[in-house]
Amino acid sequence: MSLEDIRVVVDAGESSPYQADALSGNAPVLLRELAEHVRQLMAAGEPTAIDLNALPLTPADLDWLKATLGEGEISVTLHSDGESTLAETACPGVWWVTHHNESGHVVSRFIEVAFVPELVKAHPEDVKTGLEYLESLIFDLS
Amino acid sequence: MQGPLIDTLARRGVTRRTFFKYCATLASLMALPPSAGRAMAEAMAAAPAASRRPSVIWLPFQECTGCTESITRSHSPSIEGLIFDAISLDYQETLMAAAGHQAEEALHHAMKENEGKYLLIVDGSIPLGLDGAYSCIAGKTNLEALKEAAKGAAAIVAMGSCAAFGGIPKANPNPTGAVSVSDIIKDKPIINIPGCPPIPVVMTGVLAHYLTFGTVPELDKLGRPKAFYGETIHDRCYRRPFYDQGKFAKTFDDEGARKGWCLFELGCKGPVTYNACATVKWNAGTSWPVESGHGCLGCSEPDFWDGGGFYRALSRPADPLKMAATAAAVGAAAGVAITFANRAKKSSAKAAHETVTLADLEK
Repeated sequence: MSLEDIRVVVDAGESSPYQADALSGNAPVLLRELAEHVRQLMAAGEPTAIDLNALPLTPADLDWLKATLGEGEISVTLHSDGESTLAETACPGVWWVTHHNESGHVVSRFIEVAFVPELVKAHPEDVKTGLEYLESLIFDLS
Repeated sequence: MQGPLIDTLARRGVTRRTFFKYCATLASLMALPPSAGRAMAEAMAAAPAASRRPSVIWLPFQECTGCTESITRSHSPSIEGLIFDAISLDYQETLMAAAGHQAEEALHHAMKENEGKYLLIVDGSIPLGLDGAYSCIAGKTNLEALKEAAKGAAAIVAMGSCAAFGGIPKANPNPTGAVSVSDIIKDKPIINIPGCPPIPVVMTGVLAHYLTFGTVPELDKLGRPKAFYGETIHDRCYRRPFYDQGKFAKTFDDEGARKGWCLFELGCKGPVTYNACATVKWNAGTSWPVESGHGCLGCSEPDFWDGGGFYRALSRPADPLKMAATAAAVGAAAGVAITFANRAKKSSAKAAHETVTLADLEK
């Protein structure tokens, strides 16, 4: 008997485990929390983040939240250990952050309230290394 | 190794951003506030790698090395494995280069040098039968070794179900008299990280927590970190809606099984098992037992091996010891019949057996 002889049946429809999925009503209150965080950012320059995986949100809630916050002008893609996207929403200063692992699964999700998310900025130490590299490039010219 | 951890990471191609991303995710998994991710990243990145890294001693007792296998195959070996660069792993029989007298010397040197400060990791249970003769290292019983190493430890991590609860060695009839670490050591903080094996990120997460904050994470009544063992498999299971709708797979190849219905009636121990498999998953987030179509065995719970059968549904009385004598006799007769049936099956399987070649697998 070879592998082909084993019949494989794939059932479509009715199989989604998320069929009972619906809005839980937990998402709208997050807008008020975000507003408070944005006020804090303006007043004291204090960035904050909300861990979406830590909240009882259904996939439908997340979709609603994402759609409601909308899309802004800028989005940043980080290619390291899987892709991460940091996208500004229609509310400047509010960023939708999704981290994927190497196999493309979402590993964590945040809403960050910041002028620029910390992850986007280059760290001074890295800039120093960058300068050394740049100098080596210049050295190679001569 | 010299310089802060982050330099070592950079040399291995792990950028600062990758590391910060890892810490943010780790904090999220551990149910810590998002700001803790940053604190963790900064504390660990700046950890002086060369001078005084916290000493960790890992003692293997009556175990199968599965826990070490699991932790060394964590899904981002480049980062999670490198958490080990923030510590000084002074003794780990499977991973260390030294052997024999040198290994023993390293162990005793580390214990003396870091008295009262080192973290002791134990995997495997401790046999008490025959005065502990069932498992000895360097002429010492596991009991002696544990007591000696525990004396100077700041905290103890019982890695895996064997160290945490006795595990498979302790299963009926427990021929070696195996017990857990907490059965013996009563005067030190003990973190139980059960699982057979535990999830890699749970192990590294607890280590990262200890390194960053210098404290033991919040534990439940069985000594497990609440961040990872706070909820049952069942409560976080993606097949839970089917349980609520009363849709169950009755056999492993029926319509329900194909449609991914709840495996409760096939013996899934999800409802009584506290672990993070349903959210963290296994093998780089690929899948986990229930997603692969098999019920949870409950490996992170005490005495999971003696739960009365992996394929018996929870609601049925499942204690084999309470079986009446007559039932046992009937059972024995049935057993004989099944043995004959199996023997027939075995020979027919043998006749039909085809060797799988490499070419078959590559088809």
